[in-house]
Order: sequence, then C-alpha cells, then structure tokens
Amino acid sequence: MGSSLKSFIKDVRGAKTLSEERSIIQKQSAKVRTKLRDDHLSLEKRRKNIQKLMYLFILGEKTHFGQVECINLIASDEFVNKRLGYLAAVLLLDESQDLLTLLTNLMSNDLNHSNKYIVSLALTTLGFLSSPELVRDLYPDVNNILKTSKNVFLVKKALQCTAKMISKDITLFDVFSLDTIKDILNNNSLVCHGTLLGVGKVIQAYVKGFPAYLEMLKSDNTNIEAMEQILVADISEIIPEIILQLKNLNMKNTKPEYDVKGVCDPFLQAELIQTLKVIFQLENTAINDQFLNKFEDLLTFIATNTDPSKSSGQSILYETAKTIFSLNLEQSLRVLGINILANFLNGKNNNIKYVALNTLLQVIPQDPSAVQRHRKYILKCLFDPDVSIKSRALELTFAILDESNIVESITELVNFLEYSSEDNTDLNIYIVEHLVNAFDTIKVSDEKWKLDIFLKILELTGSYMTQERINDILITLNNVTNFDNKNHFVVKLLNISLKKYEEANKSVDLFSDNFAWKLVTVWCIGEYADLVLSKSKSSIISETNLTKYLVDLDTYCTAADTKILDYLLTATLKLSSKITNGKAIEDLRQIILTHTKDANLLIQMKSVQYELIFSQPVAIKKPILEIMPKFEKKQKPIFESIHRASSVIKKTEKPRSNNDLLLDLLGDDTIGDNSNARKPTNSDNSPQGNADKDLLADIFGSSNNRSESVSQTHIESVSKDHNTNSVQLPSDAAEIYDDDNITIYGQVNSIETRLAQIELYFKSKGNITELLSLCAVTKTQKLVMGTLIPSSDINTGNISKQSLKITGSGKLKLRVKLEFKIDGVDHSELFDHKFDHSI
Amino acid sequence: MGIQFILCFNKQGVVRLVRWYEQLEKNEDTQAYISSIYKLLSSRDHKNQSNFIESFTEKTKLVYKRYAGLYFVMGIDTKDEEAIHLSNIHLFVEVLDAFFGNVCELDIVFNFYKAYMTMDEMFIGGELQEISKEVLLERLSYLDGLE
Repeated sequence: MGSSLKSFIKDVRGAKTLSEERSIIQKQSAKVRTKLRDDHLSLEKRRKNIQKLMYLFILGEKTHFGQVECINLIASDEFVNKRLGYLAAVLLLDESQDLLTLLTNLMSNDLNHSNKYIVSLALTTLGFLSSPELVRDLYPDVNNILKTSKNVFLVKKALQCTAKMISKDITLFDVFSLDTIKDILNNNSLVCHGTLLGVGKVIQAYVKGFPAYLEMLKSDNTNIEAMEQILVADISEIIPEIILQLKNLNMKNTKPEYDVKGVCDPFLQAELIQTLKVIFQLENTAINDQFLNKFEDLLTFIATNTDPSKSSGQSILYETAKTIFSLNLEQSLRVLGINILANFLNGKNNNIKYVALNTLLQVIPQDPSAVQRHRKYILKCLFDPDVSIKSRALELTFAILDESNIVESITELVNFLEYSSEDNTDLNIYIVEHLVNAFDTIKVSDEKWKLDIFLKILELTGSYMTQERINDILITLNNVTNFDNKNHFVVKLLNISLKKYEEANKSVDLFSDNFAWKLVTVWCIGEYADLVLSKSKSSIISETNLTKYLVDLDTYCTAADTKILDYLLTATLKLSSKITNGKAIEDLRQIILTHTKDANLLIQMKSVQYELIFSQPVAIKKPILEIMPKFEKKQKPIFESIHRASSVIKKTEKPRSNNDLLLDLLGDDTIGDNSNARKPTNSDNSPQGNADKDLLADIFGSSNNRSESVSQTHIESVSKDHNTNSVQLPSDAAEIYDDDNITIYGQVNSIETRLAQIELYFKSKGNITELLSLCAVTKTQKLVMGTLIPSSDINTGNISKQSLKITGSGKLKLRVKLEFKIDGVDHSELFDHKFDHSI
Repeated sequence: MGIQFILCFNKQGVVRLVRWYEQLEKNEDTQAYISSIYKLLSSRDHKNQSNFIESFTEKTKLVYKRYAGLYFVMGIDTKDEEAIHLSNIHLFVEVLDAFFGNVCELDIVFNFYKAYMTMDEMFIGGELQEISKEVLLERLSYLDGLE
C-alpha cells in the first residue's frame, strides 16, 4: 500500500525525542485534515489519508474530522474503498454517534450485495456498530442471509450479528424464530465449528432475553403461556442436537484442524456447555424434567473424559465445574466439580490455580465439607511463589476454618509465617488479623496450645502487629481463667525475654524492633509477676531480674516510645506492690521519679500520679493494683478509635456523675489503651468497689472538671485531636465539594500500606438537620465510617466532621451521597471525589 | 458478555492495535485508561503471577499475555471465563504468526490494517467466530489478494 503511510510510520518511529515525535504527528494530522477537506482529492489519495488517520487513531490522536470520510469510502463501489471505509468506520466511529444513520442505507445495500466479501464486511461492521437504529433497520437483511445464504462464512457472521441484535432489542423477538436455527442445524453443509459457535450465541441471547420479552408481552395482554410453550418446544428440539454435538466433540478428536493440544476445539466445547447452562438456568420444569438428567450425565462424562493436564482441557473442565455450581446440581456432581478444581490446585499452571481458588471461594457456602476435604492442596498453595495465589489460598483457608481443623490449619499458617519473607508483610498482617479473630469465634479446646500460638505469632510478627491485635491478645490472656495455662504462657514469655536479655549481654536492644513482644512482656510483668514468682521453679525469673528488665528497658526507651513507656510505668507501679526486695522496689520508684519531669505531658502526669500511689501504704496500694478483671470484648475493636471519639462527645454533652465518667473511661480504655486502664475497676461484685472509687476520686481530684480533663488527655493520646465541642477545620483540608447548602473539605490524615484515614469536614451554609452522609469506595477497598462529630445537626457556619477508614488497595476515590434537611425540606446531593493518594 | 476490548502494546506502552467492542463510560479518557492498563501490566512479575487481573474496573477484568516485546490484552466481563479468553489470545497470536510468517512487532506496526483484518475474521462484535487456523489462513490470504 501507500509508501507515504510507511514513511509516516517510519518518521514517527525514528523520532529521537518525544517533542520531535509530537511535532511529526501534529504536522501529519494537520496535513491529513486539509487533504480530506479537498473535494477533488482522488480516491486513491483519500485512502492513503484515511490509512494515516487510522495510524493516528492507534497513536491515540483525535480523529473525529475523518469520520464522514469513512462513510464516503463505504459509499464507493470499489471493494478496496469499501474495505478501508468499513475498517476505518469500525475504528473511528462508535455506537453513540448520529452519523450512523447515514450508514443505514449503505449497509442495507451491502448486506444484499452480490459480492460475498462485501456482505461479509458489512456484517463485521454491523457486529461492531450495533446501535439501536441500525439494529432495527438492518435486522431483516441479516435474517435474510441466515435463511437463504449457503455460504458458511456469511452464515456464521450473520449468526453472531443476530445474537447481538436480539440481545440489544427484545422487540425483535416478535419476528425472530428459532426455526432458522433449527434449519441451520439440520443443514449438514452449513454445520461447522464456526456456525455452531454462532448458534450457541444466538440461543444464549434468545434464552436470556426471553423473560424480559414475556414481561413486555404481559403488559400487552398477550397470551404468554402459548409463547412459553413455543419456546419450550423449540428449545426441546435443539437441546438433543447440542448435547450430541458436544458429546461428539468431547469423545473423538478426528478433526486435526480444530485440535488444540490434543483436545478437540475447547472453544466450541466451552461455548456449548455454556449454552446448555443458560438453557437450564431458565428453570423451566418441562425442559428440566426431560433433559436435565441427560445433561448431568454428559457433564459427568466430560469431567471424567477430558484430559486435565493440558490447558485446553482445563478450560473445558473449568467451565464444567462452574456450570455444576451455577445450576446447583446434585451432590455427587458438586463433589465432582470440587474435585476438578482441587485437581487444578495440584498442578503447575498458575492461571488455573488462581481461577480454581477463586471458584472454590465462591462455592464454599454450597458445599463446605467437600471443599474441606482438599485442605491439604489449599494449604500447599500458601507456599506458591505467586502472591495472588497465596492470598487467595489464605482467604480460603480462613473461610473453611472450623473447630475440626483449626489446630492443623493454624499450625500450618504459623509455619507459613515462619518461612514468610519480609516481602509478604501484607499477607502476614492478614494472617495475624484473621488468626486472632478466628480464636474469638471458634472454640479451641486446648487453651495451652492457643496461648503457645499467640506466643509464636508475637515472636514472628510482633514488629508490625497492629495495636488492635496486641490488645486482642492481651484481652485473651487476661480472660484466661485457668491459672496453670496463664502461668504456662507468662513463664514461657518471660523466660524467653529474660534469657535473650542475658545472652545479649544485658542489652534489651535485642527485641528492639519487636514492639508487640516488648509490650506484652512489660504488661505481663506488671500483671502476673506475683503469679510466676510464686510458681516458677526457674531461677531466671526472679524479683531482681524482672526489675532489672524494666529498669534497662526504661533507659533504652527513647522519647518516641511513648506507648512502651506508658505500659512500663504501670508495670513498674504494679510490680512494686508484688515484690519484697527493698532494693528492687527502690529501683522501681526511681523509674517513676525520673519521669515526673518528662517532656511528654502525658507521661509526666502519669508519673506524678503514680508516685502518689507509690508512697501509699500497702493496704491502700494493694486493692488499686489488683489484677485486671475480665474484659467484655466489644464487637468490633477495629473501629475502636471512632467509637471512642464519639463517646467522649456524649460525655460532655450530658452531665454525668463522676463515677460514671470514670467507669466509662475505664471501660473505653481497657480495650483501646491498656496502660491507662490498669487501675482497679469498680465492678459491683468487688468488695473494694466503693473504697476504690473514693480513692480514685481523691487521686484525680474530686471535681468533675478535673477528671474530665484527665479523660480527655487520655483519649487525645490515642486518637489525636478529637476536640470535644466544636470541630475546627484544619488549615490543610482541601475543599472537595461546594454548593449552596454545604461545603465539604477532605483531609487525608495518614496513608499506610493498605490503610488510609480520611476526615471529611461538613461546613453548613444553612441550618442543616439530620445530615446523613453515605460514602462508597472502589471495589478493591473497604470503608469504615465513623459518626458525625459533634452531631448530624449543623448550624450555619458550623462544622461537623466524620472519619473514614479505608482499607484495601488502589486510588482513593469516594462517591458521596448526602441527605439532609434544611428548614424541614429534604435535600440530597451526590458527588465523586478523587484524592491524589493511593494505598 | 463477550470481549470488551482488544489491546496490543509493546514494552514501552506504545499502542500497536486497539479495538473497543464496548464503549467506555462517556467521561472516561481512553488514553488514560490504556496507560493505566500498561502501568499495571508492566509492573507484574511474569514468571510468578497469573495472566489475569481480577476486577480491573467494576465491570472489566483483564486477561493478558506477553509475546516477546508485545502485550496482548483482552478486557472481558467479570463473569466470563478467563482461561478460555487466554486461549483466544493465544490463537490470535498464532494466526498472526502464521499469516505474517514469523510475526514481529514491525509487521504489526506497518501492516496494522492487515492485523485488524485478522482480528475481524476471528472475532465479530466481541465474540469468537472462527477457531480453525486453516480456515482462517485460507480466508485471510484470499482477502489479502483482493487488492
């Protein structure tokens, strides 16, 4: 073809810089534009320019100015012009354009053209550009080809077009009849793989559109029962034919030209299975009674007869398995389907492993026990090099986790953690999150084993474990009622901690990066020192060693380790009441003393308070520093920070008694921040309850305000800046939406791997009441929304805020829907916002 | 249902073939869409990762394969079967290879209209219409002669 197209392409390829390339492209684009405007341009030159235009299109340039030109080419009588015209039309036009009406007559003529290649071009284009008008106007021409043409090429294309047309316009059901399909199936000279593919598509489109067609008829008061009977009769004639064809394909492989790695035409086999699936999805009793048994037999036959070692066979088997599950066929077949998928897991092909895991995840609700049986294969996939397979396998492992297999599965998961590399931190976090949750929901008979697992995951993943999970572990440990088990855990933990500390030449640094481990150790020293000191036979756990550990940890702590220090101070105080060694007690007192002048206000305040308690006589100290009571774990500790924030607001809104406030404070903190909570509780059963309350009131100062401020500081330390009464707009919050009633600002607080915290600020321009904001994120993400703070009623100029927590991956995009009332009138807004961040 | 688009680009992300069987959302920028696909695929580990990208958008998943320096990508409905479409891609490349005779990127660059012709004989309106390589090649060489 044209040398100038070639030289254009060469020029573009030869460009040395991006700007050079741009200038070549722009020059050429302008040239094509002027050339095409010239009415006297010869057709040959026109073709050349359209070719260039198509290349511009591939490069992503604007090509709209050439659209009419394609139609001009199609209007020409010559085949070469038509061919290029249609090709360009398919690329440059789309179904939404009005220009397509210009094509109607041209295409209608071409569909009836004596040159079959021209008919073929028109069909291809119609398959692509099936706008409602073209579909309506050209359907008779296509149907005519189906009825009269003896050319296989045209028939197969016309079939595909028909499928597309009837799926787009159900009114065509009035004129379309399956008789044409039956005729084609009965005409041996037309039946080939290509036409069968088309037949499959037409039947699928017909069957899928039929219910909607009946609905349409219903409104016209037509007798739909008669229509339904016609469908059943037609389909019943076709089903045996398809079953036969499918069986023949699967059984013998006599056609070398359709052979794909020893399997005969997997494409057609998959298509025919799908066609039958769609038919049976109608759930028409007449059809099912007559044929479902046969179909089940056939599926069994295919499942056992197809070679699972080749990818071509695998796609047929995969389709078979999916069909079994989507039709929810009987138990024996479902087991067969699950076996097929499990077999895939055992293979080497990553693609097929991936789809198998995916499908298994979907079928768990249908047949959990059958999936269970393949746990071994699933666990094996954990060690696959492909991350997406690993994560699917993990999901699946947790999905089938129950009492019967928890020990085995979790042992394997811990094993996985042990060998898991740093690159898999995401997966490791996922495991830890779910593992701890699994222990909450599934009963484990062997508590000792469970605690051992906790110890192991602390050791393996403690350096990046989230605070919520650490709290969960502490809560579980706290709630262990069997003292032997508790002792077992604590002794083990302390033994390791102290031993490592000895070995590492008295440097606590050894666990420096394992935050969770340190935290749990410190906590255990505070809580259970007396327990282990009285029971332990090992010499390493002694009063002096425990004290030393705390003292050294304190010296190694930097100012940044507030959390550890927080825990450490409480542990120090508690330990002091549990030991008798005078020197050790004095050392502990020194720890607290040094922090009374800490730069961190929170630590300082705490130290001062603790020092007060420290100097109290033992009789008073003891009940304050009792072991923590049993926690009632809140439903979703993950959302804790949000809930807590809202509860603070409630407190300030409603005046409450001092005791209630403290109760709340303690209740909240036990979950969120144990360090603050290790004061005695005023549980009603406890005999010291009243004394404690008074004591605490003394310590905190009895005025309401004082304790409030304490509670606020505590909470502030955890969830920053939850100001109580009025919300201030931070200076860096960006405006994301603005209209007559409301302005919304967004601020991304933190971005971590797979986690983003966002605050939305709603500034009202009128008196808004009952504001309800609903947000949606992309499919790959999950969203947790907090409540509106301070309230869902916002006066003019005031601001309410709402926290969003997004987990998952991808760009941060929000769709926000607002519903609210202004002066009692309902309003609603909907908008999208993209943040510049991704997670 | 069916294939939503077929894309072919090289390792640098330069598009060589593109066909949309289904239009993108009105406000979606096709170039940005393509480059997001390129970014996603080029960062993947080809030895150890599958050839599928689940939920690329809400209605599309990607099936792709790299042949030498060229990526062939299909966008398909999230409900459709990935494995069979991967075979479709492979068949398409095999046919191109046989038609051009040991096809390379340059063949496709300079004869993109022939590559499109191949595509149109194999797929129609986003559906596979012919599977036999022999039938396709015979047809293609005849059409090629109709200058």
